[in-house]
Amino acid sequence: MPQPQRKFPPWIKKRLPAHPQADRTRDILARHRLNTVCRSAQCPNTGECFARGTATFMLLGNTCTRSCRFCAVEKGAPEPLDVSEPERVALAASEMKLSHVVVTSVTRDDLPDGGAAHFAAVIRELRARMPEATVEVLVPDFQGSRESVRVVVEAGPDVFNHNVETVWSLYPQVRPQADYRRSLRILKTAKELKPQMLVKSGLMVGLGERPEEVEEVMKDLLQHGCDILTIGQYLRPSPQHLPVVEFLEPSHFERYGEIARRMGFRAVASAPFVRSSYNAKAVQKEANSK
Amino acid sequence: MFEVKLPDLGDGAGDEAIVSSWHFEEGDEITEGDDLVEMTTDKATFNVPSPRRGILSEILAEEGDVIKVGEVLALLEEE
Ligand code: SF4
Repeated sequence: MPQPQRKFPPWIKKRLPAHPQADRTRDILARHRLNTVCRSAQCPNTGECFARGTATFMLLGNTCTRSCRFCAVEKGAPEPLDVSEPERVALAASEMKLSHVVVTSVTRDDLPDGGAAHFAAVIRELRARMPEATVEVLVPDFQGSRESVRVVVEAGPDVFNHNVETVWSLYPQVRPQADYRRSLRILKTAKELKPQMLVKSGLMVGLGERPEEVEEVMKDLLQHGCDILTIGQYLRPSPQHLPVVEFLEPSHFERYGEIARRMGFRAVASAPFVRSSYNAKAVQKEANSK
Repeated sequence: MFEVKLPDLGDGAGDEAIVSSWHFEEGDEITEGDDLVEMTTDKATFNVPSPRRGILSEILAEEGDVIKVGEVLALLEEE
């Protein structure tokens, strides 16, 4: 049945891989019964990343206890915690021969520690089975729990990532159950606990934020110990999600990138298709070279 | 005959996309890696490259059609 065409500006265009070794990545993930944020959030880079053999594991089920209005991950009653998951992640990661492993999770406000111990178990399994690989965790806000942050940081990830996602003024529309200041505190706590660990955060643009607000976020992040920044275009996963207010031209992303570097971030990725985990390995390298 | 299928766009088997425009016509010679067709999803526009070389013998998805991942977009006659 023909449907009305959706129109995107010319730069919101991805090229799919001609030879999708994606099948192999998909097969490994299915065999180990693992979720990825790539699929669950309908990331437009999935074809590219899977063909390159990378993916971002999503722990603690496929159902999120929050209802952020930008995100395609399913919302509702969470799944029981599976203690075999850390091992399955490590097995899949070593089969995929990942040199940089990125793990995230749905938000689990139902768990007393928000899933922190589970993250720590995954980091430990990865360290045990893949001592050479670097590990990046992209964690939820743990409802601000310092203790949960400590549990994750002590397990020793190379990069501690928590996204602020948007500017302060848009939190009520975009992340109604989150709190901008609380997210900043999570980053600060992580940095204080382990100053040599890289701390990373990111935001989506195109939700109606003003450029001055984006610069405010950059300043706040730096003041809270953040080393790495990612900025990407918000893309609406379905007509039920928040609309895109603006498709920023690539030059705007470059400008944000320049501003952020000048302000003092050690590594910045800013482009329309940048996602928090996109090219994470290269971004981490850049940060480490400074 | 080689079947060019819609590759994975990220959301598994239930994923679908709309054909927005073909870059070639039936009878055209295709080189491996040429962008064959442009598709759109809710999130973005995607170019689907040809995994093989050959003659585009039949286009099976018209502009405006909704295609699921894995469905055949076109047939390539391999020389
Ligand atoms: S950018 Fe991140 S979420 Fe998107 S496909 Fe790549 S690894 Fe997955």
